[in-house]
Amino acid sequence: MNKKEKNRILELFNGKQGPKEKKFMPFLVAGDPNIEEFKRLVLAIEPHVDILEIGIPFSDPIADGPTIQEANVRAFNAGINTKLALDAIKEIRTQIKKPIVILTYYNILIQGADTIETSLDKTFKNLKESGVDGIVIGDLPIEEADLTLKVCEKYNIYLIFLIAPSTTEDRLTKILKEAKGFIYLISLMGVTGARDTVAQITKDTIKRIKRKTNEILPVLVGFGISQPEHAKTIVEAGADGVIIGSAIVNIIKANLNDYSKMETEMVEFVSRIKDAIKR
Amino acid sequence: MDYIGKYPNDSGKFGEFGGMFAPEILMPALNELSKAYNKYILDETFQKEFTQILRNYSGRPTPLYYAARLSNDLGCKVYLKREDLNHGGAHKINNVIGQALLAKKMGKTKLVAETGAGQHGFATAIAGAYFGMKTKVFMGEIDIKRQAYNVYRMQLLGAEVIPVKLGSKTLKDAVNEGLRYWISHLNDTHYLMGSVVGPHPYPLLVREFQRVIGKELKQQILELEGKLPNAIIACIGGGSNAIGAFYDFINDDGVQLIGVEAAGEGKDTNKHSIALGLGRRGVLHGSLMYLLQNEYGNILETHSVSAGLDYPGVGPEHCFLKEIDRLRVGEATDTETLEAFKRLSLLEGIIPALESSHALAYLEKIKDEFSKDDIVVVNLSGSGSKDLDIIKNHVEFKIK
Repeated sequence: MNKKEKNRILELFNGKQGPKEKKFMPFLVAGDPNIEEFKRLVLAIEPHVDILEIGIPFSDPIADGPTIQEANVRAFNAGINTKLALDAIKEIRTQIKKPIVILTYYNILIQGADTIETSLDKTFKNLKESGVDGIVIGDLPIEEADLTLKVCEKYNIYLIFLIAPSTTEDRLTKILKEAKGFIYLISLMGVTGARDTVAQITKDTIKRIKRKTNEILPVLVGFGISQPEHAKTIVEAGADGVIIGSAIVNIIKANLNDYSKMETEMVEFVSRIKDAIKR
Repeated sequence: MDYIGKYPNDSGKFGEFGGMFAPEILMPALNELSKAYNKYILDETFQKEFTQILRNYSGRPTPLYYAARLSNDLGCKVYLKREDLNHGGAHKINNVIGQALLAKKMGKTKLVAETGAGQHGFATAIAGAYFGMKTKVFMGEIDIKRQAYNVYRMQLLGAEVIPVKLGSKTLKDAVNEGLRYWISHLNDTHYLMGSVVGPHPYPLLVREFQRVIGKELKQQILELEGKLPNAIIACIGGGSNAIGAFYDFINDDGVQLIGVEAAGEGKDTNKHSIALGLGRRGVLHGSLMYLLQNEYGNILETHSVSAGLDYPGVGPEHCFLKEIDRLRVGEATDTETLEAFKRLSLLEGIIPALESSHALAYLEKIKDEFSKDDIVVVNLSGSGSKDLDIIKNHVEFKIK
């Protein structure tokens, strides 16, 4: 392992674009609506975003609402599996330089060898070879993260921790000690899915967490954000960027019989988000 | 063996099994539950209240019944621990009363639960009515269709039954949806897990509330026979009735503990629920356990004639007990189970639950291992009256 090699997430936040500019990370599920169209969508939106977040489908995603669950089902029906998802990411990586973060569940990562440790090693080696820079694991709290932190260190992949409005101060301290890249702040007490408004709890939580994370890590906020005005409100409340999943996946669902319209609408949507957080 | 009281450790691990693989958003709620559990489980007033409700409301202690005709048929002394005689017709009541009482002490006003067959949903609805707590039960759309009578029973008790339309539309998806609902309603709602599965502290607290089965059983068999049994047999889906019956005997090396899984249409088909026997390590619903999954870690659909055993995983403590060779694992097919079901009905006048019939079926398969003075206890975890809709498809009578 080349120790000098920098992680693309670190470079993004420290780079010439500077830490001041607000970041946008859209989320798509690998293989939704099918593998080829997924790759085209990612490449089409890439110029308008800062980080790409890609979901590796799991059969039982308990932190996800109906929109992402359905996206997983579409991807499975189109034949996706972990190997094909990583192949697709590897191909995307040859054409783009921006950071790629994957989101999945722990069980997906502990397959393929005899023990959990050796399986994790094998999986993270594959992630590295596919050009992945960071990983969000929906059901891996800090209490269970030891083995994963070790393997992340080995392959220079950042383990991105989720923080919720309910996260207590002592757990926050524990998480910040290990977290790398950025914090994924869950904006509300719920599962993923587009919402119509930004809740007060979201703004309050951003302020609370920013007080603690300032100087340590940037904070990106996700869950429930569906419109440019939401994104603007979120960054105005102090967040370093926004994460949008369900609202983007909804564009796929609404245009399943017209891929070119799907692409146009998605590019237009992500551009509007990026514009909204620029000002 | 020196086992009792040693597991799980503080992080909820039974060896490498168990743990807290839960979304961040749930962690504070799980920690709050652990704290409340630690505070009340040794509290005398709490224990007294729990025991009294089980006695006055559910009819505990349940009898340990010597099944003379079945014994004669099988060639060993068979005792049945009559959990089917509990209020609600199953062992499930022990757990729901314990958890609802704990939730009440924690200041929660609502209960949410998942259910497969409807048995745990029905038990939760009972607890909801008893304690005056609003109850929501998530149930797969397919299960709602095949268990219409149980849905109706829950509704009669005031519970709201919510159909789950995603995934396999059965128990595992009902757990997913129940947890998702809980994530959005943590303040006033307790998630009442139905078995010894899920993230810590659920496998621990469900076990502790089900231990009453084994404690009574030990006292009863000593009174009746003056010695411990040679074996205890129980069916295992998630494994709550089994751990309840087994736990207080784990230190007693002479007592074989035998868990029976659902072999469905057969071990060699892909229509079974043999998680302990054929599963690999994995994480589902917050816990590391043996799971039926594909090479990529996606969970497989399972099958059993009894909806209560139709689950792709098995409680982490059972996985650990198997690992340390303290638990023997067997299985029974749908067909073997139905035969055992009929036999008990005809020989003893007791209609067993299809789940419990798996334990009876396995005893039939291994009866030659026992001599006529050997004592075998079968945990009769529930009554079969809930299963009549299914049984009718397999057993028919003509009126002349």
